[in-house]
Parts: sequence; C-alpha cells; structure tokens
Amino acid sequence: MASFWPVALIVLITFLAALIFFLLFIFEEKKIFVWLTVLVFFAVIGALYYAWDDLNFRSANVVFGKKTDFKGVIVNDPSLKAGSQEIVLKLSQPYSGNILIKLARYPEFHYGDELNLNGIIKKPEPAGYERYLAKEKIRGISSFPKVELIGSNRGSGIKAALFEFKNKIIGSFQKVLPQKESAFLTGLTLGGRSEFSQEFKNAMQLSGTTHLVALSGYNITIIVWAVMGLLAYFLSKRLSFLLTIFIIIGFVLMTGAEASVVRAAVMGILVLLARELGRLYDIKNAVVLAGLIMVLFNPKVLAFDVGFQLSFLALLGIIYLRPAIARFFKMGEEPGFLGWRDNFLTTTSAQLAVAPVLIINFGSFSPTSLLANVLILGAVPVTMGLGFIIAFASFVSYYLSLVFSWLAWILLSFEIFIINLFAKLSLTFSSALSWAAVFLYYIIIIGFTVYVGRNHSKTQTS
Amino acid sequence: MLDEIILKLKRHKNKAIILVVALVVLDFLIFWQISGEGRTNRDLRIYFLDVGQGDSELVLLPGGVKVLIDGGPPNSRILGNLEKIILPTDRYIDLVMMSHPQLDHFGGLIDVFKRYRVGAFLTNGRKGEAQAFADLEKIIEENSVKTVVLAKNDVIRYENNHFKIISPDKNTLQAKELNDTVLVAELTSNNSKTLFTGDIGVNIEEELLKVFNSPIDILKVAHHGSKYSSFGGFLEVLNPKVAVIEVGKNSYGHPTAEVLKRLEGVGSKIFRTDLDGIIELIIDGQTIKVLKNI
Repeated sequence: MASFWPVALIVLITFLAALIFFLLFIFEEKKIFVWLTVLVFFAVIGALYYAWDDLNFRSANVVFGKKTDFKGVIVNDPSLKAGSQEIVLKLSQPYSGNILIKLARYPEFHYGDELNLNGIIKKPEPAGYERYLAKEKIRGISSFPKVELIGSNRGSGIKAALFEFKNKIIGSFQKVLPQKESAFLTGLTLGGRSEFSQEFKNAMQLSGTTHLVALSGYNITIIVWAVMGLLAYFLSKRLSFLLTIFIIIGFVLMTGAEASVVRAAVMGILVLLARELGRLYDIKNAVVLAGLIMVLFNPKVLAFDVGFQLSFLALLGIIYLRPAIARFFKMGEEPGFLGWRDNFLTTTSAQLAVAPVLIINFGSFSPTSLLANVLILGAVPVTMGLGFIIAFASFVSYYLSLVFSWLAWILLSFEIFIINLFAKLSLTFSSALSWAAVFLYYIIIIGFTVYVGRNHSKTQTS
Repeated sequence: MLDEIILKLKRHKNKAIILVVALVVLDFLIFWQISGEGRTNRDLRIYFLDVGQGDSELVLLPGGVKVLIDGGPPNSRILGNLEKIILPTDRYIDLVMMSHPQLDHFGGLIDVFKRYRVGAFLTNGRKGEAQAFADLEKIIEENSVKTVVLAKNDVIRYENNHFKIISPDKNTLQAKELNDTVLVAELTSNNSKTLFTGDIGVNIEEELLKVFNSPIDILKVAHHGSKYSSFGGFLEVLNPKVAVIEVGKNSYGHPTAEVLKRLEGVGSKIFRTDLDGIIELIIDGQTIKVLKNI
C-alpha cells in the first residue's frame, strides 16, 4: 500500500482547491470558477480511478524469487530477436497476472499457445523499467525457464488471424529485402523495432528519427485512403464506412496497439464518423476524446507511457505551434519541392513540442534532427506505399513483389544512410532538466503561440 | 493538344519528376540484374563465414552458382555475412547443404529459408534431436523447397565443378553419434581440391583414408578444431596448403592446441574465423588468394 499516502495527499489538496474555487464563485460570481470546481472534481475521480486500477493490478497472484512450476497462455505476438524470443504469458490458476518471458529463439511459439514452465519469476528492475512494465500490465519477468508446449489456439481467433496476417506481410518483406532494409520497412508500415540492431536503435535516437517507426496518423491515413478508395467501387457508402472502421481497428490490434497508433485510430474514426453523420470535425475535441478513451482504458499511460506523451505533444505542436511559426516567419503555405517546407514546419513544431520529454527520458535532443527529418520525410510516404504494394504483390507473385522491392530498397537505403549520417552529426546536449525549466519552457511556447495568434487576428480585423 | 499536356505536367510537376526518376532508376536496376546474371566470373570463391561457434561456408562456383554449406547457430549472424557477399537485390541461393542436423550447423539455416529462395535442400536424411529441428522442417515445407538426400558416391556437377560425397555410407549413417553421419564433400573445381568435413571425428577420418590417398589444397578443419578430430595420419595424407578453422566463443577449448600443432606440423597455413572474421579464398586455377575480415 505504498501508493496510499500520495493518493490521499492528492485527494486532500484537490478537495481544498475545489472548496476555494467554489467559495470564489460564490463571492465573485464568475462562471469560470464553476468550471474550475468541476475540473478539480474530475481530477479527484481520476486519481481514485488510477488507485483502483493499480490495486487491481497488484492483487495478481505471482510467486517471486522461487523456482516454481507455472502454466499459462501466450497473449502477445512473440517478439523475435536475433538470439531469443519474448512472450507475454497470462498465468493460469492457481496464479494470476501477466509475466514477460525470455526464451531461446527456437522452437518458435505463437499467440494462443499454452505452456508448462519451470523457472524463477523476478520483479523487474530498475524502478523505471518496473513502471514501464506495469503500464503494460506485466508483473514479473522470467529468463529462459524450462518450457513445454501443451496446447495451442487458446486465444481469440480474430487476434490469431490478424497476427498471422501481419507475419505474412513481414515475411514478404524479408523475402525480397536485406535484413536492415526489411526491418526498417516493417517498422515504417507495421511499427515495432524488435528486429533492429542496438546500433541502429541508437542511431535513430541520436538523429531524432525514432518517431518514424511509431505508427501514427500517416499509417492510418494510408489505410483509410486505400481501403475507402477500393471499397467505394464495390460497396455502398455506409457499408464501406463500416468496413473501413473495422479494418482500422484490426490494424491497431494487429500491430500491438501502441499509444501513437491508438490515438491516430480514434481520431481517424472520428473524422470518418463526422463525415458520415454530416457533422463538423473539430480536431481539438478529437484530441481530448482520444486522450480520454486511452486513459480510461489504461490510466497508467498518462504518466508512464513516453510514446503517449510524445504522440500527444507532437500533435498539439502541429495543431497550435505550426501555424504560429508559419505566421511569425511569414512562410507561405506552398509545400515546396517534395514538400520540404511542409515537412520543415511540421518537424520543427513537433520537435519543439516534445524536446523536454525527449531530454528527460532519453538524455538527448538534437537540433540537427530537423534537417534529418526534412530529408527523410519527403521519401517516407512513397516508401510506405511501396511497402504495402510489396505486401499485396507478394500474394499475387513473388517476382512482382521483387521488382517493387528494388525501388523500395533504394529509398530504404537512402533513409538508413541519412539516419546513420545524422547520428554521427548529432549535437546532443544532455544536461539534466529541472521541472521548473520544463514548466518555463512550455509557458514560453504557449505564450508565443497565443501572442502570434492575437497579433494575427488584430491585423486581420484592422 | 501539346499545350494541354505541358499544362498538365506543370500542374503535377513534383509527381512527374518522381515518376521519371523512379522509372530511370528501375531501368538501371533491371539492366544491373540482367548483366549480373550473365556475369561470367571464372574464379572459384569459397567463403568461411563468421557466425560464432558453428559452421557455415558459402561456395561460389565459376559462373556464379551459389552453394551454402551449413548456417551456423541460431543467432541470425549468417544473414549479415551473406549480405556482405551477395548483391542486395539477389535473393536466390542455388543449393543449401546441411552437413548434419546439429544446432550449430543448421540453426542459422532457418533464417536463410525465411529470407532467400533456395533451389534445393541437401541433407543426409537424419533427423535432428534439437527442438529447433521441427522449425527447420516446417519452414522448408512452407516454402516448398525440394529436399534431396545424399550419401557416399553421390556427385553434384556444374560444368567442370564437382562436389563428391565421400561419407556417410549405409553403416555410418545409422551411427548413434550424429557427428559420424556428416555429409563429407570433396569439391574439385578450377584445378583445386577442397574438403568439407563438418564435425567428423578420428573414426570417420580413418574410414576416409581408405578412399583418399592424394593431397588436397584446402581443408575445412573438422569439428571446430577439436582434439578428437584431425589426427596426424589424416593430415599427413591430405597435406592441405590452407586449413580453416570455423570457431567462436566456446567452453570446449576449441580450437585445441593439439590440432593447431598438428596442422603446423604438415605445413598448413591456418586461418580462424574467430580471429580473421569472414575468410575469402579466391582460386583462379593457378593460385589461392586468401582475404581476411572482408
């Protein structure tokens, strides 16, 4: 019950705040104080919800630090590394909860396999890793226990089919492209970095391009575009709308539902829904709704999922900061050759919005990443498109997919080259940041955005 | 009419540029592929791959036919090795031979079958005891690769190049010890002789001496330099000019001082994948050129 006192303190402070706001409303009679009161109450509900969720998570029955026999079913699509594989196992009676298990590379296991194991389950360390795994609802880890397969297909049939489909696509990349290139293409189209070498992961971080392999609005847009375009020929509008939504949800499940793609999917579905119902789509409301849904689903994402924070901050940067920067520097709305101006503005605003989070979590932020991103982003949509074409072509003919892979190979080698080059050129400053500095930084960014916005509306009215 | 086209082109300038560039590049690539197919390199090239503790050799016959013998342990290192040697757009290996079904010889082959198209899979027909063997069988079946079982006296011929299988025979194939069942292959090509020995021990070496009486040029030293292989009498008959030991970090003491001494005793030049990385031998019919750490 270590988390009791902080929660109690938060509840106490917020109740006091609510009381103050309410009294202010009675004396000052301004509507804003009612809103603030309600807002504070929501914070209390949120804190209680978090505490309840955490209590549930910790009540799982796992035996730590002792050699034990245990049983369970694999609930993830095992992630394959060079010499090992990682599975998430949902423990069966008498135990409960999920644990992460590292196993030899072969025999290969699959989603829905039921296993008998014998080994030691440990608590994850250090604290940061423990919080990350807690966010993933994983209680313990076990390395190379004795393992025996006792059954398969014990999971959801839909998920099993989706994972199989995904692995077919990855296989089609691997058949036509070298290791690095196929791994990168997999990351771009389906997310995931498990196949990347540690060197390449570091290079992506140093060059500020890791976000490329986090699935986002890009991927969802391409899917919507392709699916709607295809289906609209054969089906009624209503039916193709429903199917597209199912396919988006399928894509999210298939790729492991990382924060950035869930956010993009919720917002994408809202766009489609607004069009279907003839309502206006308001991006600000969509952002808030996406965040709310995700936090309701898993309250830990708010604090412990860096991907969640980066995804939302970057998006807010693009929505609010981008137009402010464009106006301030009087840059036109022309995208420029291969969309460089577009990419430059988007990257700059997104990177400025996420910089403190990057520095706090990864100890580095590189200004040269702007150039790296501008150079790469122009080629990324085409590469992703080619990736999907290779996947579909491979279902028709191997040779067809091979021909497309040559074009993809050129782009992928170019992108990998830029990433490695800018990893060397990166000017990292990795000083520790105080919370006060972060706070000040965001105040300045928000201040800038508001200031430019006001000036702009003044010049328009005058 | 022409004005209309120019107008359209102007409107879609970026797309037009991308399309033209893509087509030109694709053109070059296709020509590269075609000219690559016809490239008649008449050298024999033998690569001893750096895959850690395990065996893997790639043979490029004069004319470009690719034969991969073993794939090392299941650590995926073979892929990086192959990509240094084979063009990135070339995804085909003619023959994959598994000397015997032990994990440090076939583990990496699972990755190879996942990522390359393979003409045929050559094996001694024995099943492996390692759990991963089922994964190997599965991937071979999934890709419908033809499997051919070889034994003593079978020969693979391409133009003037011959792989002759000189072990196992009916009896040794039944051995309890998997190392006795190794497909031992003698390659005759470009005026040179190379012996691939897998993990054979002294007992099989003695058997081989019954049919072997002439020296060879290149020896893949048996069983990562174990002292229970490569006995003096065998090495004296073979008298290899170049001896390559495929070895990585291990707890068996491979390669053993005894074997190194015996090889020195017969005057072989010794190369080791743990010290020399990928070792490339280029044989033009007159000389053997050895390149290290390629």
